[in-house]
Amino acid sequence: MSRLARPWGRGRRAAGEPAAAGAEGAVRLYHVSKSYLAGSFALRDVSLEFARSEFVFLTGPSGAGKTTLLKLIFAAERPSEGQIIVLGRNTPRLGAVAIPPLRRRIGVVFQDFKLLARRTVEENVSLALDVVGTPRREARARVFAILKQLGLQHRRHHHPLSLSGGEQQRVAIARALVNEPDILLADEPTGNLDPDLTLEIMDLIASTATRGTTVIVATHELSIVERYGKRAVRLEGGRVVEDRPGRGAAL
Amino acid sequence: MPLASRLGCFVRSAVRGIAASPVTSAVAVATIAITLVLVGAFALLVSNMEALLDEFGDALHVTAFLEEGLTDAARRELANVAGTVEGVESVRLVDKQEALERFRRGVGRGAALLEGLSENPLPASLEITLHPARRSAAGLDVVVHSLSGLPGIADLASGQDWVEGYLRAVALIRGIGVGLGAILALATLLIVANTIRLAVLSRRDEIEILSLVGASRAFVNAPFLIEGVLQGAAGGALAALLLFLMFRLVLPGFEFGLELVLGGLAPRFFSPLETLGLVAAGAGLGLVGSGAALAAESRA
Repeated sequence: MSRLARPWGRGRRAAGEPAAAGAEGAVRLYHVSKSYLAGSFALRDVSLEFARSEFVFLTGPSGAGKTTLLKLIFAAERPSEGQIIVLGRNTPRLGAVAIPPLRRRIGVVFQDFKLLARRTVEENVSLALDVVGTPRREARARVFAILKQLGLQHRRHHHPLSLSGGEQQRVAIARALVNEPDILLADEPTGNLDPDLTLEIMDLIASTATRGTTVIVATHELSIVERYGKRAVRLEGGRVVEDRPGRGAAL
Repeated sequence: MPLASRLGCFVRSAVRGIAASPVTSAVAVATIAITLVLVGAFALLVSNMEALLDEFGDALHVTAFLEEGLTDAARRELANVAGTVEGVESVRLVDKQEALERFRRGVGRGAALLEGLSENPLPASLEITLHPARRSAAGLDVVVHSLSGLPGIADLASGQDWVEGYLRAVALIRGIGVGLGAILALATLLIVANTIRLAVLSRRDEIEILSLVGASRAFVNAPFLIEGVLQGAAGGALAALLLFLMFRLVLPGFEFGLELVLGGLAPRFFSPLETLGLVAAGAGLGLVGSGAALAAESRA
């Protein structure tokens, strides 16, 4: 599915363009461990690399460490051990001032949408542009463009609670994508949706990878993983137990 | 985003925050207003009393009554000596005849009492005017101290005792105002800080999402600081309004007390600039309170 073009695009990369010469993977983890309690590990000695434009599934049962891994990538947590390189930045060494600029290059979608109930759809999506100081007029145009592509332009003045679950998740995706991130992280993005909406949302997320964004989706729904046939990293008990390469596009 | 546009965005967010918790915001505004009404009332009283001192200061002078029988040359010599005392601006010799004329003018129809006198009982005197900067109890003291005991001077008169007493009263009232103001300001800061902290807690989801999309700490904090400033400025404006209403409607009922404290001086309200200062003081309280709350939150 390639509904998502870049009408507002900054011309960073064309669809499917490989990583720039000399560029490294979008995300690299070296022997990363994360422990919240002494002796108990949420992640243990994880080494992985996710290339630019790659579409990867993180799978595994609840408590396997999928969410922790995503949190480490967008620097919401620091690893107890190991190094994490995200878009060329060593995140454990980043100070509080350097983390926001990194996050502006990463879109995040959650199972529970994380939308602000008191703000309209337009305002929710615009948040990602407000924080980077996008002029109001330009922000409105870009928000309208992304909402139109996600079929939500007629809902832009509504509040999230008046939308269906699928619509709310599309708003969350619009917010994650409006800033044209280099990496899109999705943590169980279809966990609250029925099967029809699940496919719709997953198609939307998958289409962003074809435009050069690295997409990492954490899910425990194996049917989705099988359907898309992309690389799947399986975690269990905080360890990588399987790293299965993709079998090719199945969109 | 241009600065004005970004500021507008922060202000909208701050107003949204106030609207989301109107009761706690109203409590903060009322607290700031109460504090500033009390501090403002003391400031008004002190400034009016100081105005009276200024007015009285212009009339402050020392009168040196001369002994009988001094020659004109001796009087002029004493006037010259008085003119050399530190802080003295000018010395005027008032002879016995002029003193009598003044007395006549002063008592009006009572001047008939003087008709029966065989000789002028009023002494000649030196009227000593001080430099404007020295028109104070201390300035008077220097002059009185320098002239007392000089041969030819029978007595010295000045408003020194009254001025000292009045100055002590002003200092006492100012001290009470500052002390009370400091205690109330501290209490107000705690209440504002608590209000902002509640606002931060109630908007944790918003802060989390802003942080998620890459908002800097300054971007996250700015609306809360503005919220504190807006509440403070509203409290300051409310205090100015209440003080003005009290000044216009309540004060005239205390005519006797006013007469006692201010003499005949008409009480004066804050100038527009001073009123703005009151609003700014409220805004400052709000800013410091919200800043303290955010600092505490970031440590939590």
